[in-house]
Amino acid sequence: MTQFDSSAFENDKERKLPRRDWILLPLLSLATICLLAGSVELLARRMLTESRPFIAACMEPLDSKDGLRAIPNSTCRDKKYESNWVEYEFNSCGHRAGMECGPKAPGTYRIVLIGSSFPMGHSTQREKTFAALLPIALSRQTGRNIELYNQAMIGENLHLTALRMNETLALKPDMILWAIDPVDINRENISEVFNPQTDSTSIFDNFWFRFNADIHSKSFSSAISDLWKRVLRHLQDTRSAVLLQRVMYKSRSQYLKSSLAGDDSDFMRIPANAQYQMELQNFDKDAAEVARQAKSANLPLVVTLLPVRAQAALISMGDWPADIDPYRLNNDMRAIVTRHGGTYVDILPDYRSITNPEQGFLPIDGHPNADGHATIARFLTKELTSGAVPALKVTAQPAVSEQGQ
Amino acid sequence: MDAASFLFVAFGLAVALISNCSRSRLWRSAVLLLASICFLGFLAHNPIVFLPLAGFLLLGYAGILLLERGWSGTFVASLSAILLAYVWLKKYTFLPEGFFIHSPYFTLGLSYIFFRVLHLLIETKDLNEKRRIGFGAYLLYALNFTTLVSGPIQRYDEFAKDQFADEPIALGARTVGLQLERIIRGFFKVNVLAMLFNLVREDALAQLAQPLPLSLKLFAAFKLAVVYPLFLYANFSGYIDIVIALARLMRLRLPENFDRPFSATSFIDFWNRWHITLSTWLKTYAYNPLLIVLMRRISSPALQPLLGVFSFFVTFFLIGVWHGRTSVFIVFGVLQGGGVAVNKLWQLGMTRALGRKAYKAIAGNLIYASFSRGLNYIWFAFTLFWFWASWKQIDQVFSALSVTAWIGVWATAWLAATLVLALWEWLRAALLSIQTAEGPVLTSRYARVVYASTLGLAALVITVLLNQPAPDIVYKAF
Repeated sequence: MTQFDSSAFENDKERKLPRRDWILLPLLSLATICLLAGSVELLARRMLTESRPFIAACMEPLDSKDGLRAIPNSTCRDKKYESNWVEYEFNSCGHRAGMECGPKAPGTYRIVLIGSSFPMGHSTQREKTFAALLPIALSRQTGRNIELYNQAMIGENLHLTALRMNETLALKPDMILWAIDPVDINRENISEVFNPQTDSTSIFDNFWFRFNADIHSKSFSSAISDLWKRVLRHLQDTRSAVLLQRVMYKSRSQYLKSSLAGDDSDFMRIPANAQYQMELQNFDKDAAEVARQAKSANLPLVVTLLPVRAQAALISMGDWPADIDPYRLNNDMRAIVTRHGGTYVDILPDYRSITNPEQGFLPIDGHPNADGHATIARFLTKELTSGAVPALKVTAQPAVSEQGQ
Repeated sequence: MDAASFLFVAFGLAVALISNCSRSRLWRSAVLLLASICFLGFLAHNPIVFLPLAGFLLLGYAGILLLERGWSGTFVASLSAILLAYVWLKKYTFLPEGFFIHSPYFTLGLSYIFFRVLHLLIETKDLNEKRRIGFGAYLLYALNFTTLVSGPIQRYDEFAKDQFADEPIALGARTVGLQLERIIRGFFKVNVLAMLFNLVREDALAQLAQPLPLSLKLFAAFKLAVVYPLFLYANFSGYIDIVIALARLMRLRLPENFDRPFSATSFIDFWNRWHITLSTWLKTYAYNPLLIVLMRRISSPALQPLLGVFSFFVTFFLIGVWHGRTSVFIVFGVLQGGGVAVNKLWQLGMTRALGRKAYKAIAGNLIYASFSRGLNYIWFAFTLFWFWASWKQIDQVFSALSVTAWIGVWATAWLAATLVLALWEWLRAALLSIQTAEGPVLTSRYARVVYASTLGLAALVITVLLNQPAPDIVYKAF
């Protein structure tokens, strides 16, 4: 075996590489890469399992105008890499409401919860979601019989929420609680993520079709950039990548670095980019419509922002980079909602009181887990009963502390 | 571009490729100069910000020209001017605030340029034979993009020997393969290993500030105590691996900066293996002259060994102080100088008490060497708190636990470092002992291809998937 020894190269004359090594060494490198990548992927597939075809089995075919809707009276089970098996049971109106779709019982104060996957409780058993915990806590504190009808639907963007307000009003609520997460604001194309038919085309066809379309409609550099993003997204979907992220994201600092480097954190960035400003204008229009309909029905509209993992971690730490403000979207939303006559309930500052709020989220998927939902329920209970909604006001406030989790 | 990023490596490889289009020294020098200017252009787009650096370089060259023309009386003035300009441009905090330039300007690599310029000044003065350094050669040497950001600090004669040789050094397939493997290794060290070690440190630092149970806090303190030297080594030596390999692909040999520093069994030995070019520079231009002056002035034989101890202290104090501009680095310097001085005193005391032969036998003992290695590691780790932390952070860290708890943490860390480093030395020796007729299997080109492919794949996947910029090179700040 011939050696690679640094000192040997100090001599001006260097021995020639045997001819066979020109073939052997690249092959050895290729074999190493294939073996390593293959074995890690196999190992990851054994360690991380998820169900097919997820919650999509309960969904109607996607309507581009009406968004996603669940099949009425359907039940399906779903397991993500990071979560346990979760059952989704939809009532006759296609809602994961935990109750039948119909009029409320006499003497009951009904809250209708609207929003997307966070309030719907994606990846969490229904009885552990804040939608299930909140009415129990509110009833206990106010002494009233409070129920919460969960109308939130995965993949529902802000505009769809506004369009579905007639369905919300038909549920005869006493209050509408609109729980928004930052993903709802910056979601560009929800149909691509949740369309059950997306899986049916091959990766190559998908890449080629999109690239071919892009090259005719965009500049070459934009098309290449978009192609790279799609390749990256597919790489991130490999089980090896999920395993790697799962290990790495146990570190809060790593998670924050990765999160803050990506587009998903644009809603916290200072100064705001054009995309964020456009999304905020869209929210302004949708909020105006929702508030108008609530007002005409003489109903209180309460809006709250549910934080994402990185945002909650930053608020808890109380320290963030100069070009980041975790309260930015919160402040902008409060201004918009109050301008339209809605009530804004601010739970973000409450995250300062807990040490590791990021543990309340699924690290890769990003949705709150059972702990995260319990935290949201606790904070919402505190804020809703503090006088923001007169009907729910209680005089003595219990302290919000970590022991309460 | 000032980090061990894909872009920097791609830039370096492209320059190496173009540089090898011709073997003429004019071509290679022109390519290196153009690449170095482009490199600066990538780092800052406004030419105005380079004016202070240009002034500094011109000041240095003027001093050299005067000395070359035989005006040796200007040496002290030139030296002082360079020193003052350096302190001024680096904004050392002992100078009044109003004294500084307040508009932003480029200082990246200034420390390393400072060392190179001082070296040229001193060598030009001391050189018996007349030597002329052209302005182009001076710029090439001072601004060489492979050594600009964080060294290594190369001597001019070594640089000129390779760069201006009529027949450049050989660059065959074996050398190219070896350098590519070294680039991958360096990239992995900076982008994966150092990144992971830094995560451990950042998380441990955050945990120490949280209201956690004592056991968790002790574990966080332990991690914080031991992890920074590993991070710094991976970060700095990884970058050095990349630049040495890139330079070698341009047929330029840079000096090595590291030689398995954590294998050192004493703090003096450690500084012979860590940032070698810096410690060599200071030994040449600070330790030796100081010792000679002291020995001339103090002739007492009884005091002679102590003069060495004092010179050691001053030299390594300067090394510490060089690292930063604030008072924290004075403590860092005292701890470096103190460590080396106490180490020297221990050697002197043990030699006097036991005799040279017996002390040598003890120092060679496996258990003694293992504990010494562990102690060296832990002392260095301890001193580094005054390297990476501000006074506020130091206060937060050390007030997070009681004095007794910290003593326990450091004692445990010493024991752990002793065991882990001993195990590492044993494992390394065992693996290298697996040999064929041509040498250790582990260093064969086949084994190198396998692990370079493994490291390359891991670095690529982690870098791409984690979607974050390449980590900064710590030493570029100095």
